[in-house]
Amino acid sequence: MSNKPWHLNRRTFLRSTAGVSLSLPFLECMGAGEIAKNGPKRMCAVYFPYGASLPKNDSPDANWSWMPNGEGRDFTFNNSLKSLEPFQNDLTVFKGLSHPNGRKMGGHDTADIWLTGAQFKGGNFRNSTSIDQLAAQHFGETTRYSSLTMSTDGGVGEPTRSSTLSFGRNGQPVPAHNRPRLIFDRFFGINADSMKSQRQELKTSGSMLDLLLDHSKSVRKNLGHQDQQKFDEYLESVRSIEKRVDRSQRWLDIPKPEVDASKLHLDSDESTPAEYIRTMYDLIFLAFQTDSTRVATYQLGNMNGATSVAGQFPQLLGFGNKIHSLAHGWNKTGGAEKLGKWDQYLAEQLAHFLTRLKETPEADGSMLDSTIVLYGSSNSNTHNNNDYPLLLAGGSKLGLNHGQFLKFSKDTPLTNLHVTMLNRLGVPTEGFVDSTGELAEIVA
Amino acid sequence: MISLRSIVSTIACVSASTCLAQVPDFETDVRPIIEKHCAKCHGPEKQKSKVRLDTLSTDLISDRPAAETWHDALNAINLGEMPPEDEPELSSEDRKILTTWIRGTLKSAIAAQKSTGGEVIMRRLNRMEYQNTMTDLLGIKADYGKNLPPDTPSEDGFKNNGAALSMSPLQLEYYLASAREGLSRAIVSGPPPEKIKITTTESTKKSNRENSTNRLGYSGSFVGKFLEFPDEGAFIIRVKARAELVEGKAFPRLKATFGYRADTQTPSAELGEIDIISSEATTYEFRGRMEQFPVQSRTQSKYPGQLVMLGNAFDDGIKRKDKRTIEKEVEVKNKKGKVQIKKQKQTEWIEHDDVPKIVIDSVEFEGPIYKSWPPEHHTRIFLPSANRENGELIYAQEIVGNFMTRAYRRPVEKTEVQSMLRLYTKIRPTSATFEDAIRDTLALVLVSPDFLYLVEPETGDGKAKTALTDHELASRLSYFLWSTMPDAALFEAASNGELRAPKKLATQIDRMLAHEKSWQFVEQFTNQWLDLASVDRVAVNPDYYADWDDIIKPSMQAETRHFFAEILRHDLSALNFIDSDFAMLNEPMARHYGIKNGPRGNAFERVTLPADSPRGGLMTQASVLLGNSTGEDSHPILRAVWIRERLLNDPPAPPPPNVPPLESEDPNFAKLSVRKQLEIHRNDPACDDCHRGIDPWGIALENFNAIGNWRTEIRRKNGKKFITQPAEAQTELPGGHTIDGVADLQDFLKEHRKDQFARAIVARLTGYALGRNLEFTDESELDALTEQFSEADYQLRPLIYGIANSDLFQTK
Repeated sequence: MSNKPWHLNRRTFLRSTAGVSLSLPFLECMGAGEIAKNGPKRMCAVYFPYGASLPKNDSPDANWSWMPNGEGRDFTFNNSLKSLEPFQNDLTVFKGLSHPNGRKMGGHDTADIWLTGAQFKGGNFRNSTSIDQLAAQHFGETTRYSSLTMSTDGGVGEPTRSSTLSFGRNGQPVPAHNRPRLIFDRFFGINADSMKSQRQELKTSGSMLDLLLDHSKSVRKNLGHQDQQKFDEYLESVRSIEKRVDRSQRWLDIPKPEVDASKLHLDSDESTPAEYIRTMYDLIFLAFQTDSTRVATYQLGNMNGATSVAGQFPQLLGFGNKIHSLAHGWNKTGGAEKLGKWDQYLAEQLAHFLTRLKETPEADGSMLDSTIVLYGSSNSNTHNNNDYPLLLAGGSKLGLNHGQFLKFSKDTPLTNLHVTMLNRLGVPTEGFVDSTGELAEIVA
Repeated sequence: MISLRSIVSTIACVSASTCLAQVPDFETDVRPIIEKHCAKCHGPEKQKSKVRLDTLSTDLISDRPAAETWHDALNAINLGEMPPEDEPELSSEDRKILTTWIRGTLKSAIAAQKSTGGEVIMRRLNRMEYQNTMTDLLGIKADYGKNLPPDTPSEDGFKNNGAALSMSPLQLEYYLASAREGLSRAIVSGPPPEKIKITTTESTKKSNRENSTNRLGYSGSFVGKFLEFPDEGAFIIRVKARAELVEGKAFPRLKATFGYRADTQTPSAELGEIDIISSEATTYEFRGRMEQFPVQSRTQSKYPGQLVMLGNAFDDGIKRKDKRTIEKEVEVKNKKGKVQIKKQKQTEWIEHDDVPKIVIDSVEFEGPIYKSWPPEHHTRIFLPSANRENGELIYAQEIVGNFMTRAYRRPVEKTEVQSMLRLYTKIRPTSATFEDAIRDTLALVLVSPDFLYLVEPETGDGKAKTALTDHELASRLSYFLWSTMPDAALFEAASNGELRAPKKLATQIDRMLAHEKSWQFVEQFTNQWLDLASVDRVAVNPDYYADWDDIIKPSMQAETRHFFAEILRHDLSALNFIDSDFAMLNEPMARHYGIKNGPRGNAFERVTLPADSPRGGLMTQASVLLGNSTGEDSHPILRAVWIRERLLNDPPAPPPPNVPPLESEDPNFAKLSVRKQLEIHRNDPACDDCHRGIDPWGIALENFNAIGNWRTEIRRKNGKKFITQPAEAQTELPGGHTIDGVADLQDFLKEHRKDQFARAIVARLTGYALGRNLEFTDESELDALTEQFSEADYQLRPLIYGIANSDLFQTK
């Protein structure tokens, strides 16, 4: 890095915006922070939009199917998931699962309910709590942050085109972070102020929020009915950061973990997708490794073709077209391969993340053994809300039995997988939305 | 088949934007179809899947389960699952009536559920409004909104819609942090910081691969490194430079950037650009504030200091080589110390005689610069007042009350001030200084709902709408036309009750539109109405457009903004949006369009279009054409949806679930033109229902390629090779009008859809002004505004007067 020129070439200079690619990031964590003694259980869910390439077995492009060949314990990956071969015994691929509620929804509407399974149609735009937030609520204050919510588009987006996978109590969307530097500062940033002034600031914040709550209640009284409803979002937020401030006060004496940022692309953004996606995965890894949180979600893109900035990722990376167009073209001549190559690229990014988890020892195994990673989409291919491409990796120490390719019929709701995950995470769950039980096949 | 009644209702709402076009009547149109096709299995005798349609409620607003069953039925019909194979098929006409009825009725049920009864939902300042308001309130330009999560746009694409804008703990947390940071900057302490003044004449160089030079041509940059610099305050960078002009070429253009991001190796932000017109050495000044160019870390050892980078942004559209590799003989000492002659590869930078140059003599940094100390942004909080001597608490009361009045954009009650002072009293004993305690108290003001939201408390019984207060009116007006808080003059007009009379209101509006802040309206409204951000979401494929450079994208967006501004400020007819005989261009855009003798440089000018130019109006602008393309080719459907949504306010229904992709059994399908492909697509009745009303609008623009250039042939990749097809823009619009190309489309719109277009603009502008969705109850006022609009020759200014004077705008 030191010999990189300061002087920029003409195009870079004139443009003076986006990042330029650097060497592969691989960070060393300097003081990894103590992993809690009672053994952390973690979950992470990563979503990609519009489904995957799924040519039929007898098609000339069959080797570009996202789904493996074979069944049960006897299966082989096609090109798309080839990079996951080293993890064959650490993961299970599912075929046939989907949300029954999602099948009745618009073709692009289902990202919202991937982790919630909610009924979400006919004008009812109220979601319900997502499984990651159930886990986060259950884990409570074991970690500095209850969860890490990320997406490429950031914020909450709009119902049916949400740019977050996470929904809290009452189905309120949890805004997603989309800027690596902000996530880094929040989780690992060192506060330059002295401990004393930090304590003072938090104390002041506490008093401020008290007064603010008082004041806001009096404002609310003078509002019309509809404004009151809207205003409750604000009141809820004040209450919630009041709790956060309390929590921060209790965490104040425990220093934030020290992490080497020099090899992270903290200023990468949607214009440099390779660095950006890699960095987002790295941040989840770091947050887990330092036990700053145990729950993370990452929406790589949503199905809002009209506004999602993730749409152009494959174009920028040389895969030729927007995600939506690739997904639309999967059954045209050559289309399965084109989309398959994008699927393959995404799987390689996942493989990078899994590798880091697996290569990090923890107790008498690796971090992967106690981290459940759900990866997939909510379309099989574009517009089709059934038969999602899905895989579950990690968590063998939490009681998951991997190394399988399982096929299900439409009768098994996806929420059965959600229930299985929650129970393995130690969040006792009998039922979730429309679940009918656990997926016994993956329970060890 | 469609009854007279529904035809009448169709005619009645041709121009009604929010009205649902052509929803058939249930009893006369839909019931017979259900009796004929569905009742056998879903009627009195059998209720397969427990569904009975003939008695199912049609009141989807109050009967939710019925709405869901109808929704399921719609899906089943769309998917071809119903009627089942062994039953007679629906005729395409019946099918259309049935699906249109279900879709339309569901849509109005959804609208009813979202309805606010025509009231503006208490809305939070969006990111841009927050940014502008904090800047105006604190008097310091800095990035206040940078950490806030993105705002959710409304269905119409507006980012100031109270119902869509939400609040979350994360959001509030960043508001608090931003308030503290901003106030810490505004409030100063101690003696004035020492001024730093350094001059450099030499460009810093780190490696031979850099073209570090004082003479900036096609390539090359001057890098001034300043190891000593302040963290805050205004600075001036003075560049002494002269031009080496080339006859027949435009002036060289000095571009200056400040700061450097070590991680991405790009300048952190732009200082500005300026044409260098004199061959005499002249001093050019760039101003900024240090806060706008934060240094990630002062201690980053590899990249210390702040960098000023200068380059020549001259661009005549000709791509040149900037360097070549040469072999040079150099003397190299070997290990034993013997001198040997070796050949070594070196980079040589190419000078181009036809490129005007800039010669840099010196670069000076000076900062921080304060006109007075303490600076104005400090004294506007800590007022020079007699109360200073009356004890801290009394002075605090004055400070806080004064600040609250400005932050809340209205006079405040004594009790309100007292309630904020409770914090002051509580924290003062433990705060190090008086200023610290004030800072935190003001931070509380800045996270109060009264600041973050446009609060309009209810004054009546909550049933009937009541008039806004004068200050509420001033705020609405200010956020409409400036995207920020009212300035002192507007606030005073409100305080004096001088906003109500239409004449005085018009005077204020004129003043506001003339003010430079009205650019914020131009930018926000144009961006959101026309979705200019779409340009950033399309990546152009260089295989198709070898000369493409993303650098032109901001110019494309700027063209459309300047076009809107020209029409607004010069009181031109809004019909120019459909078709105009002029365009607003800078040099890159004129070149992009192939317009000769256009403007020089990057500033936008009004250009009269040659008679044979296909340009004119929004639909021919590259921002719209590229934003609704694939980056390789046009995307007729996206373009069509854009026209119907943005220009006609008549968005087509979203695609139903599980739509089959655009494809065919025909192996030659890929070789067909898009127009033909779409024709085949429409052979499927499920697709035809909607697409007959969509595709033609976009087909008419087929003479524009993805990047908005004119074409008569379409180049497409088939395998690895390019094939060409004629661009076909002839099509039949709904209603049977045959047109060929954009000019015909423009004529058609002007002749037959003028009213709908005018109504669309009125609706969009009113929705933006109000910050809420429009509803059925607004129809009559919108009609009245539309009538005034057309009587005023479709000028925007009178329309703005009209909106501001309307009951919609003046009541809550």
